[in-house]
Amino acid sequence: MAGKPSNRNRNVVRNASTRPKKPYWIFIVIAVVGASILGWAMTRKPVASEAAPVVPPDTATAGPPQPHVTGKADAPVKIEEFADFECPACGRFATITEPDVQKRIVDAGLASFSYYDFPLPQHRNSQAASNAASCADEQGKFWPMHDQLFGGQDKWSTEATDNPKPIFESYAAAIGLDAAKFASCFDAKKYQKRIDANLAEGLRRHVNSTPTFMIGGKTYPAALSYDELKAIVDSAAKK
Amino acid sequence: MTKRTIVATLALAGIFVALYLFLYKIGRIGNLSCSIGSCETVNLSRWSVFMGAPVAAWGVGFYVVMFGLSVASLQDRYADSLGMSKVLALLSGGGLIFSLWLTYLELFVIHAICQWCVTSAIIVTLIFIVSVVDLRERQRNAEITPA
Repeated sequence: MAGKPSNRNRNVVRNASTRPKKPYWIFIVIAVVGASILGWAMTRKPVASEAAPVVPPDTATAGPPQPHVTGKADAPVKIEEFADFECPACGRFATITEPDVQKRIVDAGLASFSYYDFPLPQHRNSQAASNAASCADEQGKFWPMHDQLFGGQDKWSTEATDNPKPIFESYAAAIGLDAAKFASCFDAKKYQKRIDANLAEGLRRHVNSTPTFMIGGKTYPAALSYDELKAIVDSAAKK
Repeated sequence: MTKRTIVATLALAGIFVALYLFLYKIGRIGNLSCSIGSCETVNLSRWSVFMGAPVAAWGVGFYVVMFGLSVASLQDRYADSLGMSKVLALLSGGGLIFSLWLTYLELFVIHAICQWCVTSAIIVTLIFIVSVVDLRERQRNAEITPA
């Protein structure tokens, strides 16, 4: 078929010498940047969580855990949260996500929600916050105090003050607690054993960061979004 | 920059996006960086596995093939190949259809959006558009070049 170029060669518009140079440097730059970002992502710690306690309590003698529970006792799914009142990721979950969880999942009877104290040692005021919350629980106001503590983290955290008690007392007044009873309970650390027992339960269950959620037999060591939590609850309910 | 170079560049970027999701799926990355949407909801859903393999793994495979073919198409041997342009357009069309199906699942079945999945969908769409423009240009050139 002399004189008739093949289909492959019909659209030749320039020869090899006039073709633009192959820009392999672009590929090299993208590959280096992409590999660096992936390497960083693989080595970084989860941003939503904080490290586990350095000095754990004695899990053998801590006694049975007593979480703070909201929702129906016979709810088909149990959401268990191990959290630290001073942990920022726990604070974001409590202030942004938890109101929706309470309203649409717990109040709707889809699940119960249990809060386990898991105070981390680097948060010096966290034990005191757990004590304040348990003392509020004594007067039936754990959850209002829980909301006050997480909502005001920046005012009483380790960075903000060495003496958080006046702030906790102002929260107690705001939610209508008996001030004298609260102060007496707080000063005596009346519920320290309960807090230790909850912390020990977390350690027994291999919790190593906060917040950690346990739902339907699975562990989720991160601050879940509402959508994620709802999907997990729905999935657990079907089992 | 030629259109085939653009396709190769986009495919290479796509490899890393898909690889990021794949590494998360197999547990090598703890948390997805996800400022928009619910990446973990999407990537932990039952729709995140297709024919026994993570969707992200299919994505890595697709982008690797697209990158390999587009780089090959830059070589002198295939630089004027109309057939290579057809293959690139056809494959990217398949990738676009798969990506549209995944986006439909996110919006109407899972009810959650993953920003990295959207990024991948945009990359596939751009690859398809550039591949089709490249194919059309080469077909036009083939028609006007004297036989």
